Amino acid sequence: MLTLIAKIGRLFLNFLATTGKLGVFTGMAIIEGLRPPYYPRQIARQLIDIGYYSLPVVGMTALFTGMVLALQSYTGFSRFSAESSIPNVVVLSITRELGPVLAGLMVAGRMGAAMAAEIGTMRVTEQIDALMTLSTNPFKYLIAPRMIAGLTMLPFLVLIADIIGVFGGYLVSTYKLGFNPINYLHQTWDFLEVIDVVSGLVKASAFGLCISTLGCYHGYYSRGGAQGVGTATTNAVVSASMLILILNYTLTAIFFS
Amino acid sequence: MMMNPQQIPSKILISNLKKSFGSKHVLRGLNLEVSKGESVVIIGGSGTGKSVLLKCILGLIKPDSGSIKIDGQELRGSSRKLIAQAMTKISMLFQSSALFDSLPVWENVAFLLLQRRQYKRQQAKEMAIQQLAAVGLNERVADLFPSEISGGMQRRVALARAVIHKPEIIFFDEPTAGLDPIFSSVINSLIVKCVKELGATAITITHDMVSARHVGDRIAMLHEGKIIWDGPAKGIEHSKNPYVDQFINGQSDGPIKIEV
Ligand SMILES: Nc1ncnc2c1ncn2[C@@H]1O[C@H](COP(=O)(O)OP(=O)(O)OP(=O)(O)O)[C@@H](O)[C@H]1O
Ligand SMILES: [Mg+2]
Repeated sequence: MLTLIAKIGRLFLNFLATTGKLGVFTGMAIIEGLRPPYYPRQIARQLIDIGYYSLPVVGMTALFTGMVLALQSYTGFSRFSAESSIPNVVVLSITRELGPVLAGLMVAGRMGAAMAAEIGTMRVTEQIDALMTLSTNPFKYLIAPRMIAGLTMLPFLVLIADIIGVFGGYLVSTYKLGFNPINYLHQTWDFLEVIDVVSGLVKASAFGLCISTLGCYHGYYSRGGAQGVGTATTNAVVSASMLILILNYTLTAIFFS
Repeated sequence: MMMNPQQIPSKILISNLKKSFGSKHVLRGLNLEVSKGESVVIIGGSGTGKSVLLKCILGLIKPDSGSIKIDGQELRGSSRKLIAQAMTKISMLFQSSALFDSLPVWENVAFLLLQRRQYKRQQAKEMAIQQLAAVGLNERVADLFPSEISGGMQRRVALARAVIHKPEIIFFDEPTAGLDPIFSSVINSLIVKCVKELGATAITITHDMVSARHVGDRIAMLHEGKIIWDGPAKGIEHSKNPYVDQFINGQSDGPIKIEV
């Protein structure tokens, strides 16, 4: 019994210590990132890596999610003849929840892992030390560009995901479920409110920042060779995914309560 | 230590430096003085803290106590700006080369020039290619990535990166480890050449006694966190110090105990 309490206590203390360390890390990255020198090449590379190269994954995810939403809503709603609200369900689910969350999770898997692995490898092969001896601050050179890219590119990806997701729903509804195309689009457009999209984009920014921060944090503090980098990568993806789901609930509660 | 005003302060002066990792006491009150233009070699068993010493001087590891002075200026407890200024004088060749594998060879070599934004990229590239030639590397290597060249070539690239901005102080951490004897000798000669040409102050860590005699004016031996012997490189065979004798002759029995 006592050992159990001790264990829980230790876990709790560990949690507090990690949260503190993460907070300091984030603060450092923001302060250092805001002060010159800036590294436009590094920033550009990250913007392209996150924004452009994530497009296929995010696009595919959004397309099939929109499609399955329409299909599944149809089978459910036809039981109480509410098929006509399918466009509303699709557009709301995509813009408010599924777009940001799914894009966030996909990018967490793709970029969170890549960041942790790259920075972690740089740590264990002394490249970060070398960077410092060459008068370059790793927070400015490595971490700030990734945070900027996460913060700005995720909303962009989510906007694309919103469009493709709605299009997926439209495809299934018109070709398979016999909706009138014009009516479908009208209904979607009329029903949609600014807050639906904006809330999704705000969420996306938050998720992007959290993916980059956790990816960099785990990479930066990784130690112990290849195994350490592996652990860092796993931790980065798992913690970012968890945080995305928790943040998503919190932000929904704030926006729509 | 008395310092008379006419005398130039020693380039590097380390006194009573201590560093522990948990219960592991790595540096236990280390003293070392290096004067300007001198090349000092540090020898000592694996894991005695040679790399830790260099990293303490570079500010990559925070020592627990003691003093580190560069050109008479205390680094420990100084403002970040002063430390950053002192750091621009020092350059390091890492044990693992530590080239940036996301950048091509020439950008690695020209890294500091590009950071300082003194030169256009094309200019910096030309200077990098010149520096590569100085360490015996072909122009064709410039556009390759570090992962595409051999370990020995990586070491040369790292050497080029360490000396391109003509630093006043250079640290070499096991520059010849893992290289064949001929290549080691090439690297040693390059180090001697770079140091002599730049008039730089150098600290070299090595296990390799051939290399130690080649590059060092003076040899210091690190054991159990302290410098236990310090003398001219020429006379090390006659040091009469049992630790040094055991080390340079590579004997398994003697005062140095290896924990297995
Ligand atoms: N960041 C660190 N955290 C914990 N322990 C460390 C750290 N860095 C070094 N050590 C410990 O300090 C000791 C000295 O390490 P160091 O790398 O300086 O050895 P070395 O003398 O350079 O050995 P080698 O010749 O094999 O490179 C080692 O026992 C190592 O375990
Ligand atoms: Mg070492």
